[in-house]
Amino acid sequence: MSHSMALPLSTRTRVLLPLGVLLSLLLLWEMAVQGTRTEGLVPHPIGVLASAVSLTASGVIFEAMSGSLARVVIGFAVGAIIGIPLGLAIGTIAPLDRALRPLLDGLRSIAPIAWIPMAILWLGVRGNAALFVVAYGAVFPFIVNASQAARLIDRRLVAAARALGAGPWVMFRSVLLPSTMPMIFTGARIALAFAWASIIAAELAIGIKVAGHGRSVAGIGQLMVETLYVKRDVDALVFYMLAIGVISFAIDAGLRHAQKKLLPWSRA
Amino acid sequence: MSGVRLTWRLRHLIEPVAGVVGVLLIWELVGRHAANATLVPPPATVWRAFIGMLDGDLPVDIGASLLHLGIGYGLGATAGLLLALLAASSKWLEAVIDPFAEFLRPIGPIAWIPLAILLFGVGRAVPVFLIFYAALFPIFVSTLDGIRRVDANLINAAQALGASRRMVITHVILPAALPSVVAGARLSLGVAWMSLVAGEIVGGDAGIGWRILWYQEFFQMDRVMAAILIVGVLGLAADGVLRMVQHLARRWNPAAAETST
Repeated sequence: MSHSMALPLSTRTRVLLPLGVLLSLLLLWEMAVQGTRTEGLVPHPIGVLASAVSLTASGVIFEAMSGSLARVVIGFAVGAIIGIPLGLAIGTIAPLDRALRPLLDGLRSIAPIAWIPMAILWLGVRGNAALFVVAYGAVFPFIVNASQAARLIDRRLVAAARALGAGPWVMFRSVLLPSTMPMIFTGARIALAFAWASIIAAELAIGIKVAGHGRSVAGIGQLMVETLYVKRDVDALVFYMLAIGVISFAIDAGLRHAQKKLLPWSRA
Repeated sequence: MSGVRLTWRLRHLIEPVAGVVGVLLIWELVGRHAANATLVPPPATVWRAFIGMLDGDLPVDIGASLLHLGIGYGLGATAGLLLALLAASSKWLEAVIDPFAEFLRPIGPIAWIPLAILLFGVGRAVPVFLIFYAALFPIFVSTLDGIRRVDANLINAAQALGASRRMVITHVILPAALPSVVAGARLSLGVAWMSLVAGEIVGGDAGIGWRILWYQEFFQMDRVMAAILIVGVLGLAADGVLRMVQHLARRWNPAAAETST
């Protein structure tokens, strides 16, 4: 490995080489599917492309995605509203930390999706059960990072501000907020990624539960279940999967960018 | 002095116990009075359900889930390790493998569930595949990172002393990169655990996640609740095992363990 690293590859090679490999793989795949006449049973590149064009043009994908994203935003907000104050309290008050830690560690280890039967029982299948799952997935990254942020507040800064006569508002605005925000924002990034994964899982599970009951499609997860079991459209399925990946990527890139812009002093 | 230490220890024991007992009490009261016992099965009922499950399906379900986790994680970690070794062995291979990994990484394991059902059919292969996928990329990334951090002097010394390429890999590179591998494994466990449960619920036919839905079909909400809590305990145990491994790896190579976490 030491001698092969001697000359780094040019940027052109770094772009063209993987692209070439990708294109030849896609070509081979397409030829294999057409050669064996298994279109419709096995997804293939041209079919996926055709699905992408028709589903984007008809707006089906946007409708489902906006339904899912709306629930992600609400669940994420609920997670933040519960998680940030709780995390800050835990990070500041040591006995509270010790009292709640085993409980929170235990609850955190329960995969959010496992709650789906209880969530359906409590809130019904019309979206609110999925909301519960999303909020459950989002709350723990907020708690963990907010408590860590509170623990890491530099006591000397607080003491210095107090010695200089800072009141509660100045203390909050100029010391506590700037020093805790970066870590809480990182928590928000993890929480949003978790929320997005949870909504897909929850909608898939709900979709499986109510499949064939003639319900309208509410989110991307239900749409995928319908595509799998009712329409049996394998190419559309691959397109939906890629679209989910694109949204994950956009969410993470957007939040990273926002963190750099809003909180330039954070290191993450 | 010893009296102070005793009360300090006692406080560290009492507070967590008080927290757990307090929540159990509230839960019991809510289950008995505010809601009905089906909507919120009280702890005592859940405990009885758990005892009932113990000499029934529970050991089989836990065994099935652990089997899914073991096979999927083992395959994913091995594949991630091999890919990282391949990528580290040649800049050409790295230029091909790395963009593919970066492209697939944002597509989480959960998004694969419908396609996995389509490819493998409802059954054990679905959760196993999801865990394989969940472990693959984090372990690939952290192993590659670990390999890059291996002290070049160690490799040069081994080569100067006549070690073969294979010996350099097995005796120098892999041991030095091990802490990063374990750190990556621990980081990926949360997502892997979530994928396991989701995979079993949506596309499986065995395991604790699948059993949650099974109990729901019969509206045995006390058993549903017990199974949900078992998911948490198992997740905690899995993290505990990896934490122990990480602790061992840290003793093995403190520098790498520090930089990779």
